[in-house]
Amino acid sequence: MKKTYDLNFLKILPLRGPNIWTYRPALEVWVDIGELEDAPSNKLPGFYERLSAWLPSLIEHHCGVGEHGGFLKRVREGTWAGHILEHVTLELQNLAGMQSGFGKARETSTRGVYKVVMRSRNEHVSRACLAVARDLILAAIHDTAFDVTGNILRLRDMADSLCIGPSTACIVNAADDRNIPAIRLNDGNLMQLGYGARQHRIWTAETDQTSAIAETICGDKDLTKTLLQSCGLPIPEGCVVEDVAAVWDAAQDIGLPVVIKPLDGNHGRGVSTNLSKEADVIAAFKLASAEGSEVLVERFIAGNEHRLLVVAGKVVAAARGESAFVIGDGISDLHQLIESQLNSDPRRGVTEEFPLNIITLEEDHHTVLFEIERQGYTPTSIPAAGVSVLIQRNGNVAFDVTDLVHPDVAADAALAARIVGLDIAGIDLVAENISKPLAEQGGAIVEVNAGPGLLMHLNSADGSPRPVGDAIVASLFNDGDDGRIPIVGVSGTHGCNEVAHIISVLVQLSGLRCGLACADGHYLGRRQVETGDRATWTGGHKLLLNPAVDVAVIQSKPQGILHEGLPYDRSQVAVLTHLDQTFTLPDYYVATPDQLFNVLRTVVDVVLASGVAVLNADDEKIADMAPLCDGSVIFFGLKAEQAILAEHRAKGGRAVFVQGQQVILANGSEETALIVLSAIPQIEQIGTEHLIAAVAAVAAAWALNISNDVIRAGIETLTLER
Amino acid sequence: MEVSRIRALRGPNLWSRHTTIEAIVQCTAAECSILNLAGFETRLRARFPEIDDFQSCGNDLLIPIAHVLELAALGLQAHAGCPVTFSQTAKTTTDGIYQVVVEYTEEKVGELAFELAQTLCQSALDDTPFDLAAALHQLRELDEDIRLGPSTGSIVHAAEAQGIPYRRLTSGSMVQFGWGSKQRRILAAESDRTSAVAEAIAQDKVLTNMLLDAAGVPVPRGRAVLNADDAWAAAEEIGLPVVVKPQDGNQGKGVTVNVTNHEQLLAGYAAAFAVSNEVMVERYLPGHDYRLLVVGNQLVAAARRDPPHVIGDGKHTIRQLVEIVNSDPRRGEGHATSLTKIRFDDIALTRLALQNFSADSIPEKGVRVVLRNNANLSTGGTATDVTDDVHPEVAARAIEAARMVGLDICGVDVVCESVLKPLEQQSGGVVEVNAAPGLRMHLQPSFGKGRAVGEAIISTMFSKDENGRIPLVAVAGTNGKTTTVRLISHLITTNGLRVGMTNSDGVYIEGRRIDTGDCSGPKSARNVLMHPNVDAAVLETARGGLLREGLAFDRCDVAVVTNMGAGDHLGLNYISTVEDLAVLKRVIVENVTPKRGIAVLNAEDPIVADMASSCPGTVTFFANDARHPVMRTHQARGLRVVYVDKDAIAIAEGKFKHRFPLADIPLTQNGAIGFQIENAMASIAAAWALNIEPAIIQKGLANFINDAATAPGRFNQFSYHGATLIADYGHNPDAIIALVKAVKNLPAKRRLVVISGAGDRRDQDIRQQTEILGDAFDEVILYQDQCQRGRADGEVLDLLRQGLRGAKQVKNTQEITGEFLAIDTALAQVKAGDVCLILIDQVDEALAHIAQRVAAG
Repeated sequence: MKKTYDLNFLKILPLRGPNIWTYRPALEVWVDIGELEDAPSNKLPGFYERLSAWLPSLIEHHCGVGEHGGFLKRVREGTWAGHILEHVTLELQNLAGMQSGFGKARETSTRGVYKVVMRSRNEHVSRACLAVARDLILAAIHDTAFDVTGNILRLRDMADSLCIGPSTACIVNAADDRNIPAIRLNDGNLMQLGYGARQHRIWTAETDQTSAIAETICGDKDLTKTLLQSCGLPIPEGCVVEDVAAVWDAAQDIGLPVVIKPLDGNHGRGVSTNLSKEADVIAAFKLASAEGSEVLVERFIAGNEHRLLVVAGKVVAAARGESAFVIGDGISDLHQLIESQLNSDPRRGVTEEFPLNIITLEEDHHTVLFEIERQGYTPTSIPAAGVSVLIQRNGNVAFDVTDLVHPDVAADAALAARIVGLDIAGIDLVAENISKPLAEQGGAIVEVNAGPGLLMHLNSADGSPRPVGDAIVASLFNDGDDGRIPIVGVSGTHGCNEVAHIISVLVQLSGLRCGLACADGHYLGRRQVETGDRATWTGGHKLLLNPAVDVAVIQSKPQGILHEGLPYDRSQVAVLTHLDQTFTLPDYYVATPDQLFNVLRTVVDVVLASGVAVLNADDEKIADMAPLCDGSVIFFGLKAEQAILAEHRAKGGRAVFVQGQQVILANGSEETALIVLSAIPQIEQIGTEHLIAAVAAVAAAWALNISNDVIRAGIETLTLER
Repeated sequence: MEVSRIRALRGPNLWSRHTTIEAIVQCTAAECSILNLAGFETRLRARFPEIDDFQSCGNDLLIPIAHVLELAALGLQAHAGCPVTFSQTAKTTTDGIYQVVVEYTEEKVGELAFELAQTLCQSALDDTPFDLAAALHQLRELDEDIRLGPSTGSIVHAAEAQGIPYRRLTSGSMVQFGWGSKQRRILAAESDRTSAVAEAIAQDKVLTNMLLDAAGVPVPRGRAVLNADDAWAAAEEIGLPVVVKPQDGNQGKGVTVNVTNHEQLLAGYAAAFAVSNEVMVERYLPGHDYRLLVVGNQLVAAARRDPPHVIGDGKHTIRQLVEIVNSDPRRGEGHATSLTKIRFDDIALTRLALQNFSADSIPEKGVRVVLRNNANLSTGGTATDVTDDVHPEVAARAIEAARMVGLDICGVDVVCESVLKPLEQQSGGVVEVNAAPGLRMHLQPSFGKGRAVGEAIISTMFSKDENGRIPLVAVAGTNGKTTTVRLISHLITTNGLRVGMTNSDGVYIEGRRIDTGDCSGPKSARNVLMHPNVDAAVLETARGGLLREGLAFDRCDVAVVTNMGAGDHLGLNYISTVEDLAVLKRVIVENVTPKRGIAVLNAEDPIVADMASSCPGTVTFFANDARHPVMRTHQARGLRVVYVDKDAIAIAEGKFKHRFPLADIPLTQNGAIGFQIENAMASIAAAWALNIEPAIIQKGLANFINDAATAPGRFNQFSYHGATLIADYGHNPDAIIALVKAVKNLPAKRRLVVISGAGDRRDQDIRQQTEILGDAFDEVILYQDQCQRGRADGEVLDLLRQGLRGAKQVKNTQEITGEFLAIDTALAQVKAGDVCLILIDQVDEALAHIAQRVAAG
């Protein structure tokens, strides 16, 4: 009997922020591979062949070997199931369209149990990929059937519906390029860029600056046209005509040629364009009124449809629509011509990653049907050789023309957005040649759109993406503004809560609104909003969402870091109090001081280059974290004579310590006596652990550039009972 | 009685500052005095007893039926509730024809009132019935339908009180405040800063609940549910009682509160699911519903909202009790009254059933019977103002909620026992935040004080000293308007502002022409004031538009009247004398901003100078001669004057004096062209009125270009074969006098003139043109064009020829048909050293023709 193996998931931890593995959110799974511990991949007959056949793209995984095909080489030579699970999950994420590279698999102290971690852009999709990976691996081991394609399609659909859309992603990526953090606020495309009081929100191509009234105006086409026209912008003038007797006069008043269409028609049914003769106009009126609604007569605007994207008063991208034609060969019918001449274009496809749509003559694609009917054809007509048939007057607006836009046209588009009142607008205009002023060619603005799609500018048919995300981010954040509020991360095995409270007091004294999430609650300024342990991911996260928070002081506990990761991506200040060498977290396989060090260092790892790690010089392990900090270091301690302090100060570093009866701020060799200990009330009752908390808080306040006077006043008036 | 023309004057006008209907009413001889119409007044008063006392118009003590019509149209509006008081009937120069003007607040209501007034008069004439109640009802309905609703109205009134101009953009609630680049918009209680994203957030109750919780605002615990079973599971997690509601509903639709058991929960789920696919269950908070209105960062009003209910008296059925409550005259059908009638519909009956009542139950005395779950005023609920009771901590939570969602104007719904205590002390919470909140409950609460919420909203859009206006200069007069408008615009542009300008050539924004043709009317002016890139407006204000529609603005900072002269379109629209015309052009002077506004008036034109007495602001006089009595007395009083001081234009006020050398004003050609000096003086005065520094004015004067390209038809000079050609669109005697003066100042061997006459002028004015020329020119080429504007072929030429009779200087006269041919004829005859004035008719074409001939050499 064939042996049956299993992969048993003991625990799945969605790490929602920086964690012991990586700076980015990840999914950590504890997997018990059971008897597979004794059956590395080279011992599983046919496994390598089946796996590499099912997922040939695994060849791209370099793995530890560091070369193309590195991972598959390891599979061939023999590697363990935990490691395979990591790579298969990652590859399934890739195939689902959720690109991710980072993964790790590590043994634990329990035989057969591994911690496997993968970068995750969406928890639900990653969980699904993980489940499929397990099934796929087991099927490959046991040589049973597995629907690889079906599963990948399902994962892809899932990723499409659960991940942020590509337009939003381009804005978020642009923000990321500028080091602006992003938080997704709902299951859709509502994103917060920046933290706390410095945040802005976007919802696809709408921002918190997008005026609701402007959107209402856009929704009212007549009002929009009236407003544009009053400011001198060209629009297709038109009017509703009641009866056939009046239509020719109306057409002449408007100016020939004209378009005649039903007022609330759709798909181009009953629309006739480019009419100049009385008989045609009258016939067109009858055609349009047969649709049952009122009939609109409009100036005919010759040319292509264009979409100009205006962001903050400037045109940042422009795309042109193209008319699609086929040329008859005297043999093929229109169906066939469309297939052979248009749909064969590799840029055409059904999903949104294709810049051009497939053109069909099905019943539900009326526009194309009406277009050919107007020319006297049916889908089965066979046009004579050399005859050109218009298939789509305004197909996908997908051809980038940004560099061709005449400055006057750009100014007109920007003015249209300004008149309506939109910060981000898609201006639809029709013109023969976008490189000439509209007035010269009778071009016109036909519509102003709020929340315009960005995809056509990102994924144009001629392949030149425009940095529209950058422009939108720039409209919300000035140069050099990364949308960050100072975050003070506080961690350690003990003493953190008190330090966090004192820092919060000092921040408030400096006139800023401070949010505090720590072990005894959630505080906004002096108000305790919630009680209980809020030194959690959720507790810290809430502060970052709050526009009334100028500075966030966030405590993180070792188990929280292991379980959920940090609630923030980077911080201005990290304060590390103590690393108790006896502290263990057996549930998380943290048993040694070195393992604990690896947990706590996460808080130091995320300090910004402009930031400061505030480290306890009296705690050897904590002091050892200094080299891990991207920013600078301020040591604090009660013992002025610590060698590490001297060494640090000798290199020009900063330190805060107690010397004699004074708290000293030292900047290199320069010393400032900040506080006389006797000035601190209740000094008699304060033990050294309280004193060290105060000193740590002083150092953190210094790192936040709070003035010495404020720090001194804060410490001297400190009341420790709460 | 026949009404031949009705106009709506939408701005300050000839008659008053009010918006008015103006009608031309023709009365038969008998109707010119109603005394001739036996029993008419009695019959009329029987039909409309409230009509005012009649008063005779004019000196003949007669009361024409036109006056009755006027008072009827006014009275009908007034009794339908429109705040109107002004009306007038004026005789015209034609017997039996009267101009009747009646104020309106809503144009359509005014028009309807005018129609109904005619019907009323006719019924009194014919002794047929007239249904006054129906007429008033019709007017009232129409007025309620189209006038601004109470929320929007309160904001608009607050704006008006601060002097902010407004304009409705739609027939609905969208209103624009201010002008040009200072404009702002509202849509009911949304401002143009109200964020679309914030509104979308407020629509999503789960998201809002999460965000408010993150902001430290107490909210009921709850979650979205998948189906009815999950709803019950959620209810058990959260703890009963709960509320079941649609995730994205509004106005309380589909909301069931105080659900205490499984059965109620299933019913509630069904009701919510009918409104939205996404349903949420949340903790039911006991207490009252309060609405806190946050504007900017302030709590500006708060109301307790009670659902519609009746109190049993042990005698009446619930149905009867509702009728009794609804008979309260304060309860109306729509939004116009402070209370709305209680709806006794299926929803009410369902609610009654929950309390084990039916419509015919007779509740015991004192029993409170609730008829609906939600407390909206529109379904009969009541609102009690509690603004002064709100505890500061409660207010702070409401403000934090609005800020977290991102709404500048926000209705925060709070449920708690009392707003006197912090929410945290009473398990109260914020259950919803609303964008575009209704304001009626705060403006006209059912009980308690109304609050100034419109003022609060305006204060977030405009600071106390702002009124949303941009500097506005209006220019009227007979000649020189266009050049003056252009020069003033140029001076303002030089001062760094983006100028919108209208004149008889077009509309210009920042120097770019956006419309062509005669744009000196109110429509073009309104367009300039709408344009978001305009920091200052300079508007030529011609008579036509003023007569047709009134002014496009309620007031201006500077009104310039260049001159009046004679003969410009007299005879049209019952304007037959220069004095009548003066009344019309004076309108801009009458409407300068009180106190701060300045009228710039030509002291040497007595009619213009007289307008000073109509100016509610101050006056700057300009004149060539500082010794003119008007100038001397004005200057002696320390007031502003502008005059020619030897080789410069001087401005003076008290001890202050500044000179602009004519040599540095190219427009005047070193002072040679008199009428351009006048234009420059008017423009300098206007720029000075706007506090532009003399150095800036100097700079602007120096680089102002006035040629055929920038000012077509305004003294455009060309050099041709050593001769000077001057093309001008001079078209009235005064313009021609000015041109003649200027041409005489230019040295010349011989002076030629090419001239035609426009057929729509009076004979005497056409004749006068050539009379003026006769003494200045050696050669005259008369021409006529195809377009004779209603005159017979040769008629105009004949008039022109008559004017030349007895001319002293003229040596030779030729007659040509066709403008181009006349120009060619002149060009064939000019020699070096000659000056030839060409009075062109088709401006652009003729200029192009001349330019082409000049270029060809």
